[in-house]
Amino acid sequence: MLGMKIMLSIYRRFGELPFLIALAPVSVYYWCRNPLARRASKEYQRRFRATYPDKPLPRLTTLRHFMAFGVTMLDKVRALHGEVALSQIDNLDRETMREAIESKQGGVILVTHIGNHEICQALSSSRDDLRLSLLMHTHHAQKFNALLKESRRPGAVDIIEVTDIGPDTAQRLKERIDGGGFVVIAADREPIGEQGRARSLNFLGAPAAFPEGAFWLTLLLRCPVYLLICARDGKTFNVHFEPLGDSRGVKRRERDSWIGEQMQQFAQRLEHYCTRYPLQWFNFYPFWSEAPERQKAQQSPGVCSKQPSENAHG
Amino acid sequence: MANTPLTPLEHELATLIIDTLELEDVTPSDIAPKAPLFGEGLGLDSIDALELGLALQKRYGIKLDNDAEDNREHFASLSSLAALVETRRVS
Repeated sequence: MLGMKIMLSIYRRFGELPFLIALAPVSVYYWCRNPLARRASKEYQRRFRATYPDKPLPRLTTLRHFMAFGVTMLDKVRALHGEVALSQIDNLDRETMREAIESKQGGVILVTHIGNHEICQALSSSRDDLRLSLLMHTHHAQKFNALLKESRRPGAVDIIEVTDIGPDTAQRLKERIDGGGFVVIAADREPIGEQGRARSLNFLGAPAAFPEGAFWLTLLLRCPVYLLICARDGKTFNVHFEPLGDSRGVKRRERDSWIGEQMQQFAQRLEHYCTRYPLQWFNFYPFWSEAPERQKAQQSPGVCSKQPSENAHG
Repeated sequence: MANTPLTPLEHELATLIIDTLELEDVTPSDIAPKAPLFGEGLGLDSIDALELGLALQKRYGIKLDNDAEDNREHFASLSSLAALVETRRVS
């Protein structure tokens, strides 16, 4: 995209302040042109303010929110070009991460709409024993693959398209985990395709539809689960990495409640990180659904019921 | 369901399916070799398919290809699964 290239070259030539000055009109432009995103941002703020009246948001929040998104786009591109130095990253949970890698048990790492988890690519290059499989949407996957071909450790990062997860994909992911590697999944994306099941969870004071997909996959892969957040804190990037649970040994009849508990915990931690980085919630699509009953029961109910038996409303 | 006798491998696979998916009140002889496993037949769903794929990998070392249509055919019935295992097993 031409605009992004121009912005990137402004950053590279002149530095951060001129970049931010140039970003302001760009953000205003996008602010005017994207009523849907503007509404989503407003709704987020409204719910945030109502839930956390003691945590004031700055003035002109929506515009700042858009600007923060512009900054994060720049960060993403820079991270992919290897321009984010390790010295800029403050890994606040270094010990937990080290233990997770060295345990050789592998795991699923859930990532979110908060901040910019692509920055952690830089972290992965700092450890030769870190092997990742990233699940991504098709069009992103192609771009990433092209960039990763130039990376110095081919094979360390494997990109898998999520449009259609079949038994072959599950096998590939399981192999990664059995080898002590990690599978990275965006856990708060919209359900993909028609088969997405969602569960309604309390988020910033109102029910929002969270997709179940990542949690089902985690359940089948039988491994520890972690949450990864990477967000900008001034000029540095804070990395948070925390254990969420473990799907080993979950019995079939416990699956529904296990998924419910994990999702609930995930939503709570997500909210916690929203309070820490309020303007780095980069989900500009309507998230709080008026009708959370979007769960689709296109699978035959047959052998066992996997429909959520009870939704965790408010 | 049907009483068509199962081959030893089909019987073994029926047991694997029942154990893996913790199917209650189902015995191998309840599953007819040609009956559909997914949808109407045994009533398995797409998550069961993922789990079954992992079980085949663990037990027989079978690696499925990235071909949804092919995989659907392999997973259609006990007898198609048996054919897959016979040709592709490594352990």
